[in-house]
Amino acid sequence: MIEAEATAEMLLMTGAFRSPQTIDEPIEQTLVRAVLDGERDRFGRLYELYAPLVHGVLLARVPRDEVDDLVQDIFMHALKKLHTLRKPTAFGPWIAMIARNRAMDFHRASRNTVEVDEHTAVAKPLNRTAREVLDLIRQLPDAYRETLVLRFVEGMTGPEIASRTGLTPASVRVNLHRGMKLLRAKIGAVA
Amino acid sequence: MAGGQSEKAMNDNYLWDRTGKPDAEVQELEELLVTLRYQPQPLRIPATIKVRRNRMVLPLAMAAAIALTMIGAGLWIHFAKSQAGPVIQAARQDQPIATPGIETPVPARDKQTVATVVKQATNPTRHPKTNPGLVATNKHSNVQIREAALTPQELAEKEQVLVALRLLSAKLNLVQRKSQGLPQVNAIRNQHKMG
Repeated sequence: MIEAEATAEMLLMTGAFRSPQTIDEPIEQTLVRAVLDGERDRFGRLYELYAPLVHGVLLARVPRDEVDDLVQDIFMHALKKLHTLRKPTAFGPWIAMIARNRAMDFHRASRNTVEVDEHTAVAKPLNRTAREVLDLIRQLPDAYRETLVLRFVEGMTGPEIASRTGLTPASVRVNLHRGMKLLRAKIGAVA
Repeated sequence: MAGGQSEKAMNDNYLWDRTGKPDAEVQELEELLVTLRYQPQPLRIPATIKVRRNRMVLPLAMAAAIALTMIGAGLWIHFAKSQAGPVIQAARQDQPIATPGIETPVPARDKQTVATVVKQATNPTRHPKTNPGLVATNKHSNVQIREAALTPQELAEKEQVLVALRLLSAKLNLVQRKSQGLPQVNAIRNQHKMG
């Protein structure tokens, strides 16, 4: 009897035994449903999974100092509006779109304010060359810079970028290839 | 040339999913830009933020509306059946009796409208020839079809159907307003409408 219980516990611990409902269900779907059913703490797991994506999307568009606060704001907004998400599996593309829109809003709002050069504004000890390369990436077209930031800064692979952003793998591959080509040209021109 | 292409493909593979021969330039960029990577920070969710529950408002409302419609229709049919009385067969004395399959024209000289209800025989061969002596005729000039008086029970049933239909209408309005996100109507005014 004790052995049977121990085996069952081992199976549960290793995840070998799962209920049929959770076998093929994506983690995002499970988490979104749990949050909507009142388990608010499960949103923290979604945050852990998708914060790098949101960070990368923002880093490709807004000054680095603003990124961390904007990441928090975007997840707060997502939590408030989670009930409007029709397909829980599309959480990644949905929050990426919120991040892109928020970056646009940021630039609209900062039009009337004095733009401070990031190099002079940042007081943190940051690798100078990394910032220079990031600036060069930011000069690329939207689709390329976002994909390159997610690849080089956030360390995602092409398939991961595709699954998180909702883009097709072929599009991501093309964006990576062309973006890298343009970046090489820019780095060569600067050097 | 072929070697250069295969090398490029390998480099593309490394850029794509870090498989194949590592590209020195890509590796250098990875090492350089990793310093900007997202640093995990705890999510601070203010207690004031409330998550809207995933209530199945629309499907439930639609199911309720369908159920109410069916109940209303059932009551209506029941009420209609209880109202159906015996069919009146009447004709003027000077008018030919209508036989199944033959249209009976109303004489043009008589401008008064005569309401004539003729029961169609289900089996035409049952009464091949109409016997005038056996057919009831109306001795008066006009036939007046009187509405059947409702019994108290029938009146109560009618009232129930009307209340059910009003309730259904109010519920459907409520569902429509909820689904469109419109503010709720004044309850007092609604009650007044329903009353």
